[in-house]
Amino acid sequence: MQHIAERYTGASVRRSEDPRILTGSGRYVDDVRLPGMLHAAFVRSPVAHARITRIDVRAAAEAPGVVLVLTGEELERSLVPGPGIAAMFSRGAPVPAFTTLASDKVRVVGDPVVLVVAESRYLAEDACELVEVDYEELPAVMTPQAARDPASPAIFEDLAGNVLMHSPVAVFGDVDGAFARADRVVRADLRQHRHQNAPMECRGVVCSFDPESGELTVHSATQGVHIVRTTLSTALGLPPEKVRVLAGDIGGSFGLKLGAYREDVACAAASRQLGRPVRWMEDRLENLTFSGQAREESFEVEAAITNEGEILGLRVKMTIDTGAYPGMGTMLPELVKTMIPGPYKIGALSFEWTAVVTNKASYVAYRGPWASETWVRERMVDLVAMELGMEPIQVRLRNVATRETPPRRMVTGRSLAGVTAKESLEAIASTVDLPSFRRLQAGAREHGRYLGFGVATYIEPAPGPLEGKGGGGIMGPEQIRLRLAEDGTVTLFTSQMPHGQSHQTTFAQIAADEFGVPIEQVRVVVGDSDLVPMGFGTGGSRAATMAGGASLHGARALKARVKEIASHLFEAGAEDIELSGGSVAVRGVPASAMSLAELARAARAPGRLPPSLAGDVEVTAAFDGGEGGWSGGSHAAIVEVDVETGQVRVERYVVAEDCGTLINPAIVEGQVRGGVAQGIGAVLLERSVYDEETGQYLSSTFMDYVLATACEIPRIEIEHLETVPLDADVNFRGVGEGGMIIAPPTLCNAIEDALSPFSARVLEQHLPPARILELIGAIPAG
Amino acid sequence: MKDAARVGSLTVKPPPFDYSAPDTLEEALFVLGEAGDEARPLAGGQSLVPLLSLRLARPSRLVDLAGITALKALDTAGGHLAVGAMVREREAERDERVRSLAPVLADALPLIGHPAIRSRGTIGGSLSHADPAAELPAVALVLEAELVAESRARGRRSIPAADFFTGFFTTALAPDELLTTLRVPSSAPGTGWAVDEVARRHGDFAIVGAAAMVRLDTSTGRIEEARLALAGVGDTPVRLPETEQMLAGAEPADGAFADAAENTMTRLSPPADVHGSAAYRRHVAGVLARRTLKLAAQRAREAA
Repeated sequence: MQHIAERYTGASVRRSEDPRILTGSGRYVDDVRLPGMLHAAFVRSPVAHARITRIDVRAAAEAPGVVLVLTGEELERSLVPGPGIAAMFSRGAPVPAFTTLASDKVRVVGDPVVLVVAESRYLAEDACELVEVDYEELPAVMTPQAARDPASPAIFEDLAGNVLMHSPVAVFGDVDGAFARADRVVRADLRQHRHQNAPMECRGVVCSFDPESGELTVHSATQGVHIVRTTLSTALGLPPEKVRVLAGDIGGSFGLKLGAYREDVACAAASRQLGRPVRWMEDRLENLTFSGQAREESFEVEAAITNEGEILGLRVKMTIDTGAYPGMGTMLPELVKTMIPGPYKIGALSFEWTAVVTNKASYVAYRGPWASETWVRERMVDLVAMELGMEPIQVRLRNVATRETPPRRMVTGRSLAGVTAKESLEAIASTVDLPSFRRLQAGAREHGRYLGFGVATYIEPAPGPLEGKGGGGIMGPEQIRLRLAEDGTVTLFTSQMPHGQSHQTTFAQIAADEFGVPIEQVRVVVGDSDLVPMGFGTGGSRAATMAGGASLHGARALKARVKEIASHLFEAGAEDIELSGGSVAVRGVPASAMSLAELARAARAPGRLPPSLAGDVEVTAAFDGGEGGWSGGSHAAIVEVDVETGQVRVERYVVAEDCGTLINPAIVEGQVRGGVAQGIGAVLLERSVYDEETGQYLSSTFMDYVLATACEIPRIEIEHLETVPLDADVNFRGVGEGGMIIAPPTLCNAIEDALSPFSARVLEQHLPPARILELIGAIPAG
Repeated sequence: MKDAARVGSLTVKPPPFDYSAPDTLEEALFVLGEAGDEARPLAGGQSLVPLLSLRLARPSRLVDLAGITALKALDTAGGHLAVGAMVREREAERDERVRSLAPVLADALPLIGHPAIRSRGTIGGSLSHADPAAELPAVALVLEAELVAESRARGRRSIPAADFFTGFFTTALAPDELLTTLRVPSSAPGTGWAVDEVARRHGDFAIVGAAAMVRLDTSTGRIEEARLALAGVGDTPVRLPETEQMLAGAEPADGAFADAAENTMTRLSPPADVHGSAAYRRHVAGVLARRTLKLAAQRAREAA
């Protein structure tokens, strides 16, 4: 066991990224400066829905410093028509036709209409002001209700109305039987509000087309270089080999920076046309207004329950507002459907969904994109508890699946092997002394202070059980390449594209342990489509299991290769070769020791090894997720609500999480805290607000779109449960999204508990101070 | 729909402007006099620079006041506090003389933005910008401060705070005129004060802010004088004379403050925005009026 203590894996190894980033030496796309580089700016729509009747760019084209002005029609001539990345996430929903720059119609405030390329961004912006665009305004379709109205003007003329898709009713288990057996039915209409990623670094791209070679080099802030390459090569009609995508440090993304956006395509086309580099850095106004928004979903839910608090079945109707252009909006409802039973023994479910198009920014992935399943379910559990006068945590403990053999399955099909929801709830109950809190709460109420306790539980496919489906969750297995460099370092090439997840540290920890070198001798290479293996990139909480597992198996394969080479060089059996401390030796013959650097050089020296081993010491490996599957946990919050001002203070926040074996506890806790902070922000602060009549966007600056700061986030107490290992080697699970999935219901539950003397029911996720006062009847609903 | 114009021009790069950085007040007033109403003084830039970047402000010339030493003085001659317009908010916040002579101002300063913002933002800049939700305009009202202004054409004049804030982001200053000094009359001994606000987050502009001062009759213990000013409830910071009148002569008891709060609420027609409805602002104005008046009275009693 003493061997364990010497491992990097499991230790809070300091982030190798930090010295560079914290001293301002990071290299972001905004830092890229190329000779002859030009700057792009976009003329964007000031209205939500209109026909474009005239565009006059003559004055702009003649403005100082302007090199190129492109309208949508002109740009389209240099592109291959097609839906681009939209089709990838649409999952069978119709994909409407639209142009890269709006040409016939604008469909959302901020829709890009004209591209201006100039010698500086200032000059480009000045020229944008000279572009004249006439709009013939159409009524803005701003709500799902409006979209369902057959009289609403079609946002896309090739779609039959603004209802994008209506699913059939999916039935799992005996739904009618469950409702027939039920003692009671609890009904609720639940609304999750539109909010958005708002990463610290906005989107950005530098496109550089070399007319000599016909190659396009793209510096991009992205979660995956290959998706950007695919989207751009497809749109521009270039062979993928002629497109190289590079990514440096990324200042956050949370799902926003997946693939190339319309602006990226426009800049790439402009660079090709001009033969000069073209740079576009999204500014905050563009980012908040247009880049993408998420989460706006509503649910009609019925729960069939017994008087003892058993949840027999659910009937769910979901509506998702996908915004204007295709994003991820039609991909999510099926995930929500699969996941909504969570870790519970709910025996029956019927689920149907409708996706609508509106004149709002497109629906994009945002940290735990399917999270509404957890919010809706965990709200319903508390509403059930309220109906029955039970303690909410007892309702959970009564319904949650326990670990048994063979493992239980969700009624929607997936195995719950390794799920520790019950254990995490029990951990919460023992950390927060609930009986004494209830006494404190009762006493405080007598003095006009309103405290509340909330708990919620969830599981997350990170990457989810294999179940013989090829593995790797929705994006396939993860590939990796490792090379022993001539200086003896292990270089690991991964398609993961860290944007805050510390992969350069964690993968090095795993590979260093498995290969047997100091961590300083492992280098993790990311962000170059010519170098890293093909892959989706970072998303879906797959890095820990998938790329962590690939790192482990890759390091193991590299070690075997090194031993094989050493056995040739030493003329000894491979099983007699020892690798430690950066050198190889024949067991028991210390004098035979050869450094890894020497070995790498020897392998490349002509004639020293058989052809199958000669050359670069390099292996590739892939990992399908193994037997791992779920991460999850339970969170609890204690809040105090000022019922005179509606302000909520989070007094205590407790996490009992299970992401399996911890690679790096400090990094895991950073992910948990960041997710919880965003979840607290979602409930108390963040909302993407539109004027429902005009379609104007009202949250377009950080004065109006309010993010949580350190002042609003309490200390977060974290307890780790490390599940019984399911896989022989790889028991790390993703932990990036969980905090954001579970914090909103935790907080909503706590707030409803605090407001229980007012009989307030919390049916929406966003609870700013004004809304709190409306819920308790202190002010009329506005 | 004040937000519509903002969204209409999606850009965060300032339009072209000329820039002057005078070393003396005389020079600054000369430049402003010459430029007419196309010039804007730059006094810390914590509001103006974002407005420029959004192209919502389009001055032809910025007159940067940062180099004018004469505007950076903080003076207490005769027991009256005089704060130069270019005194940084952070500097005033840390100044013991501000704390002892104008505690209501000292308590308001930490509510402005964050330390980084207060290290650049100036007393005069915030007052001249006249954001109706900002702290300093309401505090100037409750203190019955005098705002000293100067122009090349007309020389120096003193404007009572009550006359200074004339409308939404609008003051009594002429385009060629600069605010040079905030003069705070000394409070009578035994005056209590309180400042409070409700904001979405610490450091945000107040949804509603309140500043109160209360002086008690030392013999009867009744309220001799009460003052109340609110931020975020109208086009300008608002003083509540009727509420104040109600309290004059009253016992400083919970009932009186509750009545005063009710009265306050009836007199407001606050705006609505993404952070709160008019009804919310009116309600919170009542709550903060009650809380600040009560705390101010308590402090007055303790001081007596």
